[in-house]
Amino acid sequence: MSDENTISHEKVREEVINAIKAIDNGPQVLKLYMEMCARCGTCAEQCPVYYGEPTKERNPVLRSDLIRSTFKKHTTIAGKLLGALDGAGDFDGDMEKWVTQFYECTGCRRCATFCPFGIDNSVITRKGRAIADKLGLTPDTMKSVVKTSLETHNTDGASPEAFKSAIDFLEEEMKDEHGIDIKIPVDVEGAEFFYVPPSGDVLVNPEATTGIAKVFYVLGMQDNWTMSSKCFDGANYGLFTGNDTDMKADNKPYVDEAISLGSKYMFMGECGHAYRIMKMMMEKGKWWGDLPFKVVNCMEWTADQIEAGRLEFDKSKNPMPVTYHDPCNFGRSCGIVEDPRVILKATCQDFREMYPNRGENWCCGGGGGLSAMDDIHDFRMNVSGRKKMEQVKDTGAKYVATACSNCKRQFMQLIEYHKADFAVGGVHDMLSRAIMINGKAAERIDYES
Amino acid sequence: MSNLIGLILPFITVLIFVIGMGYRFYIWTKTPQPGKMTLFPTPTPGGGTFISIIKESFFFPGLFKGDRSLWIAAWVFHASLALIILGHLRVFSGFFDRILINMGVDVDLMSSTGGGAAGILILITAIWLLLRRFALRRVREISNASDFLALLLVLAIIFTGNSMRFGEHFDLEITRNYFAHLFTFSFAEMTLPQSGIFWTHFFLVQLLIMYIPFSKILHFGGIFFTQSLIQKS
Repeated sequence: MSDENTISHEKVREEVINAIKAIDNGPQVLKLYMEMCARCGTCAEQCPVYYGEPTKERNPVLRSDLIRSTFKKHTTIAGKLLGALDGAGDFDGDMEKWVTQFYECTGCRRCATFCPFGIDNSVITRKGRAIADKLGLTPDTMKSVVKTSLETHNTDGASPEAFKSAIDFLEEEMKDEHGIDIKIPVDVEGAEFFYVPPSGDVLVNPEATTGIAKVFYVLGMQDNWTMSSKCFDGANYGLFTGNDTDMKADNKPYVDEAISLGSKYMFMGECGHAYRIMKMMMEKGKWWGDLPFKVVNCMEWTADQIEAGRLEFDKSKNPMPVTYHDPCNFGRSCGIVEDPRVILKATCQDFREMYPNRGENWCCGGGGGLSAMDDIHDFRMNVSGRKKMEQVKDTGAKYVATACSNCKRQFMQLIEYHKADFAVGGVHDMLSRAIMINGKAAERIDYES
Repeated sequence: MSNLIGLILPFITVLIFVIGMGYRFYIWTKTPQPGKMTLFPTPTPGGGTFISIIKESFFFPGLFKGDRSLWIAAWVFHASLALIILGHLRVFSGFFDRILINMGVDVDLMSSTGGGAAGILILITAIWLLLRRFALRRVREISNASDFLALLLVLAIIFTGNSMRFGEHFDLEITRNYFAHLFTFSFAEMTLPQSGIFWTHFFLVQLLIMYIPFSKILHFGGIFFTQSLIQKS
C-alpha cells in the first residue's frame, strides 16, 4: 500500500474514475446495479443505518451513487447525453467523504432482501472500499487488523504460545466445572475435525469453545478433533476492505493447515463472515481447486447431534429469557438459521424470537467490519445500532445469543453505552452451561454474563 | 407531422428498441460474473429458482414485505399496464376480437369495463408514484430529473389514452386499418387517422419505447438478471 500523501489529487481522481469505468467490463452484478436502480427508496426504508439517522449521507441509494453517478457520466448513453438530469456527475475528488460513507454501510444485505430487483448495495459498498484500499485510504483501524492477520494468521496478533496458554486455561475451567478432564486437542495430525473459530471465541468469549469441547467429549470423540496453534482465527478482513488479494492470502494458510493436518472437515466456529468466506466463496468458488476436506459449521453439527438425541441438557442452568440475533453473514448469506435455534431451544428454558428474524433480521450495526472500528463508536451506538436495541428490548430477553464475534463486540458496546439490562454471548455458550456430562451439568454459577 | 409520426417514426422506434434491448441483454449475458451472490432463504433446488424469479417479477413479494404502500401502487400500476398493453392488441388487428367473440365474450363490454378500469387505476397509481417522489423524504432526496420526467411522460400517455377512451370519439376501424397497412408496409392504400390526440398519444408512446433501453425503465427485462444473480443456490 502506498502512502496517501504522495498521491496527487489529480492522480486520485484518475484512479477512481478509471476503476469506476472498468465496471463496464464486469462483474455482471455491479454493472447491472449501475443501470437498474429505479430509485424507489425501499432500501432506505429497510436500512439499519438510514433508520438510525435518516440523512442524505446515509441513504443507501446516494451512497451507491458515489460510484453510480460517475459510472453514468462516463459510460452510459443517457448519462453522457442527459448528464445531471439523469443523475450523472463526475467524481468530486473528495476521498474523505468517500471513505466515511462506504465505512458507514454495514454490508448487511438487508436492502437486497427487500429491493424489488434484488439490488445488493453491499456489493457497491465493497467496490467503494476496494477503490479506497487501492489508494491506501482504508481506515487505519481496518488496515491494522488486516496487517496483523496476514502476519500472524489471527486478528489479535496472538502467538502460538499465548494461544496454548489460553487453551490450558479453558481446560482448567472445564475441570472446575465438571471435575473431569475434557480435552481441547491442539495440532493433532489426522484428526477428523479441524476447528476454526474466531479468535474471540478462544481469547474473549471462550465459552463457545468449551461448549464444543464438551459436545465432542460426550460423543466420545475427544480424539477426533483438533485446533491449530497457528490457525485459530477464521476472521478475514479482506472481505471488509474489498481487497480480494488480502482475502485470499488470509484464507490460504487455513486451507493449507487443514490439508497438512489431514482433516476431513474444516469445522467452522461461531463466526458468520469466516464461514461465509470458507463455504460460499472459497469452497464453492474453488479458489484452491478441489479440496480433500469439506467445510461444515459447528452449529449444524451440534444441532444434528441434538436432533439425533445424543446430547442431554439441564435447562434450569439457563433460566433467563434468551433470544437469538441472526448474524447477517449466517442468516442472509449462508442460510444457517434453524441450527442455532435447535441448540438454544434445547438448552434454554425461555427461548424467544425477536422480530423480524432469520433472513429478515436487522443488522446489529457493526457489520461489514465496522464493529472493529472504535473511531466510529458513536455512530455505531447512536445510528447503526439503534434499531437493534429496540428489537432486543421488545423481546424482554436478558441474554442475546449470537454466532458472530463482531456482533458480540457491537452488542457489548451497545449494552455498556445504553446501560442496557441484558447480556450477550454465543450459542454454544448456552450449551456449555447446560450440557450434562455423566448425568450433571457444569457446577460453576458465577458467569460473567 | 402525422406522416412523420405515423409512417417513419414507428420503424425507427422498433429498431431502436429491439436493437437497444437486444444489445443490453447481449452485453449483460456476456459480462463475466465470478462467484455467486446467494441470498438466503433460497428457493428449493431444481425448478425452484425459476419459479421464484417469475414470482418476484410478477408479484414483487420482496417489495410486498419491504414497503407495503409502494407495493400497492407499483403492483396495480404494472398490472394495469399489462392489461392495457393486452387491450391495445385490439387496436392493431380485428383478429383478437374474432377469437374473443367466438369464445362468447362481449368484447365491447370487456373493453369498456376492464380497459376503463385499468385506465383509471393506472392514472391514479402513476399520480401516486409521482406524489410519493415529493412526499417521502427518502424518495425525494434520491429522485433525479429523469425520474420525474419518466413519470410525467407516462402520465401524459395515460392522459391522452384516457381522453380517447372517455372523451372524444375514437374510431377503432380507421386506426385498425392504419396499423394493418403499417405492419404490412402497404403505405399506398393507407388512410391516416385524423385525430390530434391520437397522434400525440402515439408520439409520446414511441418516445417512451425509444427511451426504455437507455433508462431505468429497462428494469422490465433486467429484473430477470438481477433476481437470478442473488437467487442462485
